[in-house]
Amino acid sequence: MDPIIQIQDLYKTFTENGKELVALDHINLDIPRNQFTVLIGPSGCGKTTLLNTMAGFEKATSGKILLDGKPILKPAPDRGYVFQDYALFPWLTVLGNITFGLTHNGWEKKEAEEKARDYINLVNLQGFEEAYPHTLSGGMKQRVAIARALAYNPEVLLMDEPFGALDAQTRKHMQRELVKILEKEQKTVVFVTHSVIEAVFLADLVVVMTARPGKVKGIVKIDLPRNRSYVEDHYLHYREQILELLEEEVEKGFED
Amino acid sequence: MSEQKQKPSGLSSRLKNTLDFLFPFLVIGILWEILVRTGVIQLHSLPAPSTLLVKFWELAFVNGILWKHLFSSLYRLFAGYLLAVFIGTAIGALLAQNQVAHDMFEPTLNLLMSVPTIAWIPIFLITLGLGDKTVIMAIFTSSFFAITYNTMRGIEMIDKSIVNAAHLMGLRGLHLFLEVLLPASMLSIINGLRLAIGYAWRALVGGELLAAMIEWGLGKMVYQARYFNDASVMLLGLLIIGFTGYLLDRVFLTILERNTVEKWGMAVKK
Ligand SMILES: Nc1ncnc2c1ncn2[C@@H]1O[C@H](COP(=O)(O)OP(=O)(O)O)[C@@H](O)[C@H]1O
Ligand SMILES: [Mg+2]
Repeated sequence: MDPIIQIQDLYKTFTENGKELVALDHINLDIPRNQFTVLIGPSGCGKTTLLNTMAGFEKATSGKILLDGKPILKPAPDRGYVFQDYALFPWLTVLGNITFGLTHNGWEKKEAEEKARDYINLVNLQGFEEAYPHTLSGGMKQRVAIARALAYNPEVLLMDEPFGALDAQTRKHMQRELVKILEKEQKTVVFVTHSVIEAVFLADLVVVMTARPGKVKGIVKIDLPRNRSYVEDHYLHYREQILELLEEEVEKGFED
Repeated sequence: MSEQKQKPSGLSSRLKNTLDFLFPFLVIGILWEILVRTGVIQLHSLPAPSTLLVKFWELAFVNGILWKHLFSSLYRLFAGYLLAVFIGTAIGALLAQNQVAHDMFEPTLNLLMSVPTIAWIPIFLITLGLGDKTVIMAIFTSSFFAITYNTMRGIEMIDKSIVNAAHLMGLRGLHLFLEVLLPASMLSIINGLRLAIGYAWRALVGGELLAAMIEWGLGKMVYQARYFNDASVMLLGLLIIGFTGYLLDRVFLTILERNTVEKWGMAVKK
């Protein structure tokens, strides 16, 4: 395996009201290049914190994260991020949102717009170039966010429960769309979810985390073709396997 | 796209708004005129609306001094207000982003914000003199705090993930401020601008009354009319001060709002 990201002995605490809270407890994990890694675990176990430390939004208390061998110290455009609440810039049009990351990284306006249009096609938003985000549905907003994060060609795409706010139907649809997009656009993806179904549908590798403080509980490699169905036997087998790992943790999570 | 549909055809709705706005003035004006003419009201110094109109005509088109008063006032207003807009926004942004500066200056800001401008004016009079500088400084002071405070709060309340997204794209410093923090906090900033223009307009009129070296200005016009016992100039002055203040808000801020927060879906369309 050729890891693009190496998480080494990562330890992260927060101080709240003078009390120290351990969010991530000595995590060691390699993220394989050009593969789809899913982080799953009970609510509050530190998934977002782990993802945000990879993004550089949070600093490690101790330990480190390497990207291509170099420590991650702050946010930089070699990473893209898709937020659960979209985090689009409401003052920019769809085209403006996607162009933004390009023009701020050395692209000429005209070329940036051409590139942005390619990504608008990729996420099926033709005709909405000049629309403002507030006029779009949740699913469409998240497409813009995905296009925005991919357009400036980051090494890694980080996604924090990107479909969590969508209704079940749209959510399924977006999962299929994401698979299609990634067929055309090879990327390393780290994807946070608390849905086992979503995890097995999307992942090459599922990392199950323990209840707080977050540790790696187990890793499940999903050996299924890309074109997956939610009901086939293998699929259900993987589901069971992950659910078992999770169940103990969810119970623990409820105890405190 | 759908913008056109939501506003029921621009021109006729604007006409209706204007008529709605003028209606109370018409009713009160006509009533007042009748009461004065029929002799129900008999105050020798209180003019009828027709007298006001004649006076307006005289000041505006015969000797034209009304415009000189108006433009003197507007000049001071814009000097003081624009100064407050630039300095206030910059300091507000600084306080929002720098924890040390925030902890040091936020309490002071809060304290000074509640000092009425009129209380500052004597200090300006003895330090800056009896002319324009004092008035401009009074306008600046009155609007500065509202702008600073609202910019600071606006930036502090920006969704963390918006700022994170911009950081990830590599935005820092001035780029981040101008292209992300400023538009993202526009709703709160416009609130500050709106409060501030009201304060500024009041400070202007107050300042003009107190700065003795000033000859021109709407405030001065009203005040000077006292020496000539001319109530029609006073009333006319009040009306023009009211109208101008109202128009400044309507014209500049409404246009700004329409092209920013309303277009971006941060505020509902009015
Ligand atoms: N900025 C913060 N300050 C204090 N505590 C935090 C902060 N961010 C997260 N936490 C705490 O750290 C733990 C992990 O949070 P998070 O990473 O958001 O979990 P998850 O995404 O798995 O639900 C939670 O207990 C949360 O309350
Ligand atoms: Mg989370």
